[in-house]
Amino acid sequence: MMFDGLDISILGPAFVAGLLVLSTHVPMGQKVLSRGIIFIDLAIAQIAGLGVIAAHSFGWEPNGWAVQGVAVMAALTGAFLLNWTEQHFRDIQEALIGVLFVLAATGGILLLSHNPHGGEHLKELLVGQILWVSYQQLIPTAILYVLVLAFWFRTQHHRSLSFYILFALTVTASVQMVGVYLVFSSLIIPALAVRQARRKALLYAYVMGASSYAMGLIASAVFDLPTGAVIVWSLGVLAMITAGIIQYRSARTVDDKAIAATVLDSCVKAEN
Amino acid sequence: MKIMMKSIALMLFVLVIKPAAANVSVFACEPEWAALAKELGGERVSVFSATNAFQDPHHIQARPSLIAKLRRADLLICTGSELEIGWLPVLMRQAGNDKVQAGQPGNFAASDYVTMLDKPSSVDRSQGDVHPGGNPHIQTDPRNIAKVAMALFARLKQIDGDHTADYTQRYQAFDKQWQTDLARWEKQAKPLRGVKIVVHHNSWSYLTSWLGMQVVASLEDKPGVPPSAGHLSQVLSRLKTQPAKMVIRAAYQEGRPDEWLSEHAGIPAVVLPFTVGGTDQSTTLFSLFDDTITKLLAGVR
Repeated sequence: MMFDGLDISILGPAFVAGLLVLSTHVPMGQKVLSRGIIFIDLAIAQIAGLGVIAAHSFGWEPNGWAVQGVAVMAALTGAFLLNWTEQHFRDIQEALIGVLFVLAATGGILLLSHNPHGGEHLKELLVGQILWVSYQQLIPTAILYVLVLAFWFRTQHHRSLSFYILFALTVTASVQMVGVYLVFSSLIIPALAVRQARRKALLYAYVMGASSYAMGLIASAVFDLPTGAVIVWSLGVLAMITAGIIQYRSARTVDDKAIAATVLDSCVKAEN
Repeated sequence: MKIMMKSIALMLFVLVIKPAAANVSVFACEPEWAALAKELGGERVSVFSATNAFQDPHHIQARPSLIAKLRRADLLICTGSELEIGWLPVLMRQAGNDKVQAGQPGNFAASDYVTMLDKPSSVDRSQGDVHPGGNPHIQTDPRNIAKVAMALFARLKQIDGDHTADYTQRYQAFDKQWQTDLARWEKQAKPLRGVKIVVHHNSWSYLTSWLGMQVVASLEDKPGVPPSAGHLSQVLSRLKTQPAKMVIRAAYQEGRPDEWLSEHAGIPAVVLPFTVGGTDQSTTLFSLFDDTITKLLAGVR
């Protein structure tokens, strides 16, 4: 047990980063789950990384904002491509996303065989570490997410193209902040946990996600474990508990209704 | 009430006085420098190592304790020469400790005190994961450890001037023992002179130049890039004309490429500790080199 890592100035920025990621990923995760395209985030992140590597191998060495620009352009290209495949091959969309993921990942390896320095950028893009973020770095992402959420909740029907565009922008930002594992779990796990909830599903998912980040950060400080991995596990554990509670409560409401119906039924019979 | 006030005052006094009496808090990036700080500082230093022998020092997983430890450190000891470039700059930024910033006495880069090998004449990005400052894996030559020890001794005196006599005594004892063992290692390692070997990653330049071993091939064509099929067959055909005795790798490196070569070329794959703690036998800097030489000699036989 170690308590010197339990310091708000160490864990604070990471927690805020987690809340930011959850704010967009929880509603998007519900959509992703209902569409059955679970691995889209991995594919989009990998395509963003591939874009940066490609920029390198063409002899252009972007830095800072230019890297972000290239990553976003690549992710948007992926988004348009996925939108197009969904229009034409809807039944195999998930499989195509998987194929796109491995093509982007191995395409990176092939390009890197001649330029290993692009690999550093790929790593920066894919294995962001939540503990290394600072408040200043969160500001651009916060602004982006406010805009994304405004569009997200205004367009109720989520037309396919706008979904893919918003998703590409969101994931390109989050993956660099917290890494692929946390992006995937923040997207899928809270949405899975509240799948059975009849109402307030989004609220439950937000609360569950935020508690998981808090619990994971504290556990990582106290037990001196890598932060990202511990948060993924606390998301998993709390999701099982949440899903269990929701299941139990909905089963009970069903029971109550059944009892009420029987009682009503017998009353009616008695009257007759 | 008065007694309580007194005891609180005493407690506060103890709390306030404690940091001044406390020893030098050392944050080492790699286990070899943690071991060296312990040798030279004894109980005057408390040492934390950010990585262990089974971790690639190029990469690191972020843990809150790393930030907390660096925040409170008086002395940061790293290899430098860009070995830790992937994580140390962000860690330093998060810790915000002025004492260990570059240029301060609390910032010690071991590679500043040795002659760097493999310094590229021009930094060409197509050559692979090359470090413009030279090869950073300096700890595989014990003569480098001696040079770094001398510089670290001076630095400890500068930071903790009150205990100069202690540090001098410890340094002299360490250096005497080190020179004796160095002579012994060189004698033991005579049969290794001119021996041809294959390396996994380009991390043994200092060891091979110290012992006069000859590297005929590297499994990684360009450092940091996984080998291609073409490169591996080149290595195999080169081994036909220049047969090597063994293929060596560090404890933290993945063994499959070495095992593959070992099988195809019929030479043993040898795992060296690379740093303190890499094998069960290498618990100190002294036993690190004892074990390295023993394992290499076993590979030649």
